[in-house]
Amino acid sequence: MDKAAALTSTSVQSEVVPASLPGGVEIEVRDLDFYYGSSHALKNISLPVYDRKVTAIIGPSGCGKSTLLRCFNRIFDIYREQRAEGEIIFQGENILGPGVNLPDLRAKIGMIFQKPTPFPLSIYDNIAFGMKLYKKMTRSEIRERVEVSLRRSALWEEVKDKLLEPATSLSGGQQQRLCIARAIAIEPEVLLMDEPASALDPIATAKIEELIGELSEKYTIVIVTHNMQQAARVSDYTAFLWLGQLVEFSRTDDFFTNPKEQKSRDYLTGRFG
Amino acid sequence: MKAVVTFKRTAIDLTFRVFAWSAAVVAILVLLVVLLEVLKRGYSAINWDFFFHLPKPPGESGGGIANALLGSAAITVLASLIGVPLGIMSAIYSAEFGRGTKLGSLVHFSTEILSSVPSIVIGLFVYAVFVIPMKSFSTIAGAFALAVITIPLIHRVTEEMLLMVPDSLREAGLALGVTYPVVVKKICLKSAKMGVITGILGALARISGETAPLLFTSLNSSFWNLSLFKPMATANVIVFVYAMSPYDDWRSIAWGASFIITMSILALTILSRVLFKRVKNG
Repeated sequence: MDKAAALTSTSVQSEVVPASLPGGVEIEVRDLDFYYGSSHALKNISLPVYDRKVTAIIGPSGCGKSTLLRCFNRIFDIYREQRAEGEIIFQGENILGPGVNLPDLRAKIGMIFQKPTPFPLSIYDNIAFGMKLYKKMTRSEIRERVEVSLRRSALWEEVKDKLLEPATSLSGGQQQRLCIARAIAIEPEVLLMDEPASALDPIATAKIEELIGELSEKYTIVIVTHNMQQAARVSDYTAFLWLGQLVEFSRTDDFFTNPKEQKSRDYLTGRFG
Repeated sequence: MKAVVTFKRTAIDLTFRVFAWSAAVVAILVLLVVLLEVLKRGYSAINWDFFFHLPKPPGESGGGIANALLGSAAITVLASLIGVPLGIMSAIYSAEFGRGTKLGSLVHFSTEILSSVPSIVIGLFVYAVFVIPMKSFSTIAGAFALAVITIPLIHRVTEEMLLMVPDSLREAGLALGVTYPVVVKKICLKSAKMGVITGILGALARISGETAPLLFTSLNSSFWNLSLFKPMATANVIVFVYAMSPYDDWRSIAWGASFIITMSILALTILSRVLFKRVKNG
């Protein structure tokens, strides 16, 4: 079965499952092209992102994994020379279209970056940062939400006695979990993760992976990783990109045991990449 | 063992070392001599009257420069109240909102040019646009002239500090659904804060030493002045006027004023170095 047919079959399936249930389509990418100036980085990408599932985007360096991820919250928008064409449908709206409320979009689609990005604030203020600016919340509501977010990101026990210390005093792994807590504190529906564990040691990585599993019960997760084992461990679906093109989108189990495309097989067996 | 390094190389190396070392010694010596001279002559001029009395006419002994010290402080503070916000705002524009735009680079370029305009020219400019229409030398004109000098200084340091804030922090802020102005205010400026404060102190040190622009703007006064629109004495202009006078006690007061100016600049510079080190070490 070729790629187009595989995609058609998944999108047919998506129309049957209501979007509100886990497994429905949360985000649909249609014919996405991306340009850095004149360089054509993503070519005609179409894929679904399923609700409350983990979708891994894998592929060799420079294949466009992060570029694709950065389209979902339009964070690329701050760089003048970058532009996306095509459609990304989220909650019935093409988020690449004009007139999209970007702060709103980004509050619904959170992002975790490759390197931890703690703000030059205390641990508490880092978590409270987004929600303070968003909704009218009382101080005790904020305090409660900070605790819930830190618990959910498995950091609470480590930081509960030093919430007012600078966030930069935490270790790399803790900082990354802080960033996850900060993202989920504003209650997004989708979490984008751009190689969230690549700057971390194996133990911190294991913690993050475990966390991804827990978070996927509540959030739709799209994770970029160059680590195939990680994709296999944490994800339900895998999208394999190569030179800006989507080679294969499959259930992760299928992708790693029985890939449909020759390119995927070559990549999995280490023949390139 | 056979020598690998030729005699010529060793000789060049030695010459170079000696040269660099003596240059360093000369630089430090000059500073020391200046400081010692100002200290020696200035210290003896300083007493109670110096700080708390008005200048006396020539011939009468005693008297101080209380009004000029107040004037210096007032003009410096006013100048920073005008110049610091403008410098910070223009830097925010060229480093954040206007980054990569033509207007942004124009702002950047203009402040570079402004910083190389001689301060006496800035004094003349303020004389032409402020003093002549208002028909009077004034405190505010002096402050305005010094403010024009601080703008490019504050601009440069703020812009540098903002550009040092990694884009990943801006992205992380935006990715939380926060608007760009809030990201700039709460994250970028916050990260840049210590550096900017250092820069402000540096700019204060710089304008504390400026005399030429004040000659055309605030001029001088022998009396207490609390008005923004009247001539104002400053320690720098006192040095200029008194040092060239034929009276010994005036010249002594000029040394005293030099001492005060030098010490305050030294203090500001050391403070900004200390803060800067702290910024660099995180």
